[in-house]
Amino acid sequence: MSDSQEELEDLREAVRDFLASKSPESAVRAAMDAERRYDPAVWDQMARQLRLPGLALPGDYGGDGFGLTELEVVLEEMGAALLCSPFFATAVLAAQALLASSDKAACARYLPPIAAGQSVATLAVAESGAVGDPWDPALVTTRASRAKAGEGWVLSGQKSFVIDGAVADLVLVIARSAAGPALFAVDRAAPGLRATPMTTLDATRTMAVLTFEQAPAVLIGAEGQGGELMSRVLDVACVALAAEQAGGARRCLQMSTAYARTRFQFGRPIGSFQAVKHKCADILVRVELAEASAREAARLADEGTPEFPVAAAAAHVCCSQAYMFAATENIQVHGGIGFTWEHPAHLYFRRAKSSELLFGSPAACHERFLGRLGI
Amino acid sequence: MPDDTRDFARQAREFLDAQARPAAEPAQFRWGQGDDSVAYFSADPPEVAERKVRAARDWQRTRYENGFGWISGPPDYGGRGLSPLHDLLYDAIESEYEVPDTGTLSVVGLGMIGPTILAHGQPTVKDRYLSAMYRGDVIACQLFSEPDAGSDLASLQTRAVPAGGAAGGEWVLDGQKVWTSVAQHSQIGMALCRTDPEAPKHKGITAFLVDMSAPGVEVRPLRQMTGGCEFNEVFLTGVRVRDDHRLGEVNGGWRVALTTLMNERATVGSEGGGQVAEALSPERLSGLMGVTQTLDDRAARRDLSALLVDMMAARHFNARAARRMQAGVAPGPEMSVAKLMYAQNLTRAAHFVSYLLGPRIIADTGEWGTYAWSELLLATPALRILGGTEEIMKNILAERVLGLPKEPGIDTRSPFRELPRSGGAA
Repeated sequence: MSDSQEELEDLREAVRDFLASKSPESAVRAAMDAERRYDPAVWDQMARQLRLPGLALPGDYGGDGFGLTELEVVLEEMGAALLCSPFFATAVLAAQALLASSDKAACARYLPPIAAGQSVATLAVAESGAVGDPWDPALVTTRASRAKAGEGWVLSGQKSFVIDGAVADLVLVIARSAAGPALFAVDRAAPGLRATPMTTLDATRTMAVLTFEQAPAVLIGAEGQGGELMSRVLDVACVALAAEQAGGARRCLQMSTAYARTRFQFGRPIGSFQAVKHKCADILVRVELAEASAREAARLADEGTPEFPVAAAAAHVCCSQAYMFAATENIQVHGGIGFTWEHPAHLYFRRAKSSELLFGSPAACHERFLGRLGI
Repeated sequence: MPDDTRDFARQAREFLDAQARPAAEPAQFRWGQGDDSVAYFSADPPEVAERKVRAARDWQRTRYENGFGWISGPPDYGGRGLSPLHDLLYDAIESEYEVPDTGTLSVVGLGMIGPTILAHGQPTVKDRYLSAMYRGDVIACQLFSEPDAGSDLASLQTRAVPAGGAAGGEWVLDGQKVWTSVAQHSQIGMALCRTDPEAPKHKGITAFLVDMSAPGVEVRPLRQMTGGCEFNEVFLTGVRVRDDHRLGEVNGGWRVALTTLMNERATVGSEGGGQVAEALSPERLSGLMGVTQTLDDRAARRDLSALLVDMMAARHFNARAARRMQAGVAPGPEMSVAKLMYAQNLTRAAHFVSYLLGPRIIADTGEWGTYAWSELLLATPALRILGGTEEIMKNILAERVLGLPKEPGIDTRSPFRELPRSGGAA
C-alpha cells in the first residue's frame, strides 16, 4: 500500500473510533428524539479534535486543504454510523456552494467559521411544487429583488426539504432574479425568514420548510450564475451522498452476515443455507461496486479529470441502488426481528430511501448521468 | 519510477518501435462502417483460426527472443527474472501498439499452466516445457472438467493407474474431459486424474502433463449453442504418461489444481478491451438508440443509464483491484465480484440491445450492425457458467469473504468410490 493509502486508512480508523464512542445506536436514537436532532457537543468535538468540517476546505479559508478522497472516507463512516449531524448540509452543500460561486469575499466571510465548526449552514434549492428533479435551478420560483433601501437584496418565496434548515445559522438560497437563478445568503436571524421543521421518513436527517417574506439577503457570486453553480455543487454532493450510502450499505451487509452466522434454525446457522448465503453474496457484490464507484469518483475529482461529473452522477445512482437493496435484504435476512422498532434495520431502510430520493427521483438521477455523458 | 523500471520501459519501447506499429487512434465510430461483428466467442472458420494461432506463436517468439516473453520468469528456465510489476508495465506499454492477440497461448498456457509447472513440476518437465511454452512453441490446455465433474471438480473420474506396477515409471490414463478450450491447438494438456478411489475425493487425485499427440488422445470439437466450436471434448484411452510428467505428489493433485485455479481467478473478469467492450461503449449504444429512434424513449433511456452505471462501477472495481495489484496486494476471492458483474452486465446489455433492435435481431434484414448482435445474445448464457458458475461464485464470496459457514451436508470424508453420482444406482 502506498503512503497515502495508509494515511487514508488512518483517517478512517480515527473517524470510526470517534463515531463508535460518540454515535452508537443509543446516541442516534437520542438525537432523533432531541429538538435539535444532533448533539452540539459531538459537533464541537468533530471540529476541535478531528477538524472534520474544514477537512476538504482550502487552507486560505481555514481548512486543511484535503481532497474529496479524504472527505469520501469520512462520509462513508458517518453513513455507516447514521451520525445525526449538520455535517452534510454544512461542510458539503453550503461549503461547496460557496466555493463554486468563486466569490472570494463571501468565501472569506463564511467559510472560516464553517471550517472551525462555529457555523452551521445549509443550501436551500428544492421547492414543494417541484416535480421530477427538485434540485434543478431552472424550476426555482423563489424571487430575489433589489432592496428598496441600501445595496442588498430581499427574497420572497418558500423552500422545502431544506436539510438542517431549522438549525442552520446561515442559509444559502437559490433564488431567481431578472437575470435567472443565483445564490444568496440569508442570516438565520433575518426578519422575514421562518423555519418550520418537517416530519421526515428518516429521522436521522432533519428537513425544514423555509418561508421568506422580503427577507434581506446578500448576493453571492454573480446574478444568473445559479445553473452552472448548482451543477458543480451537485457533482460533489452526489459523490458525498454516494459515500454515505456506500458506508450505510456496508453496515447493512455486516449486520446481515453477523446474524446469518449466529442465528440457528433447523439445527444449523441460517447462513449455511444457500438461499441466505447467496442473498448475502448479492449484497456484497452491490456494496463492493458502490464503494468502488464512490471512491473512484472522488479520486477522479481530485485528479481534476473531465470524467468526474459523469463518475459522480454514476456513483450516486449506483450507491442508491446498492443501499436500498442492502437495507431491504438486511431486514429479510433478520426476519421478524428486523421489522421491530428496537432493531436498527429500519433506521437504515429509512436512510436508504431518503438518500435515494434526496437529489430527485431515479429518473431524474438517470437523466443527470446521461446528460453529463452528452446522451 | 525507479531507474531500473525506467530503463526497462525504454527498452520495451525500443523493441516495440522496431517490431510493431503504434495502435491506431480508436476510429470514430460511424454507423454502417467497418466490422459489425459483436462475437464473444470466435466465429472464425478453422483456416482463419489456424492463421491467427500462427501469428500468435510468431509474436510470442519475437517477444521471447527480445527478452519480453517471460519477464517475471526465473532465469534458470529462460525467464528474465524481473518482477510482476515489470509484467504489468510491459503489458501497458504493449497495449499502445498493434500486435497479434496471443490469448490462445497466454490465457490458459502461460497464465495458468506455466505457473503450475513452475511450482509443482519435476526438473525434466520444467526444462523441457517452460521455455518452449514462453517461446510460443508449446501451447497448453487444461484437462480438468468432466461430464460428471462440473462445479464439483473434485469428483472427477478419469483414472490413472501405474503401468506394470509402481516401479514401471509410467501411468495409463483413461477417461473423458470436456469444455477444453484451445485443445485443438495444444501440444500438452494438464490432466487431473483419479489415482486412489478408496481415498476421500480431494485426496485421491494426481496431476499429469499429457502429450496431446500421444496415442489414445482424441480431441473432438464441441459445438455450442452459438453454432461455433470454442470448446472441445478430449477422450483419453490408454494414454501412457511417464512418471516424470507427474505434477506434485501422487494423490496430491488437488493442491496442484488450486495453484492453477488461483491463477485463473486473477484473469477472469478483467477482460476489458476488444470488440465487445467497444460495441458496448456509451457512444456506440447511444448511437444505436439514434438509429433505432429510441433516444426519446424514456424506458430505453433508463435501461441504458442503469446499464452504463453498472458497467462503469465494474470498471472502477477492476481499476482499483489493478492498482492494488501493482502495489503488491494479491487478488483475493473478492475478484469473484468482477466475474459475476461481467456476466451480468454483458447479459443485460445483449437483451437491452435486442429490445432496441426488435425484429431485426430475430431475422436478418441484411442491415449493418443489427443481426450481428445475435452472436453476443447467444453467447451470454455461457458467461454465467464458464470459469465457475454464478452459484459457485456466490458460495466463494459468502464463505471466503463474508465467513459464512459451508453447506453442512457435503461429504469430504468418505472414500470417493462410495459417493453417490448422477444417474448412478441408489
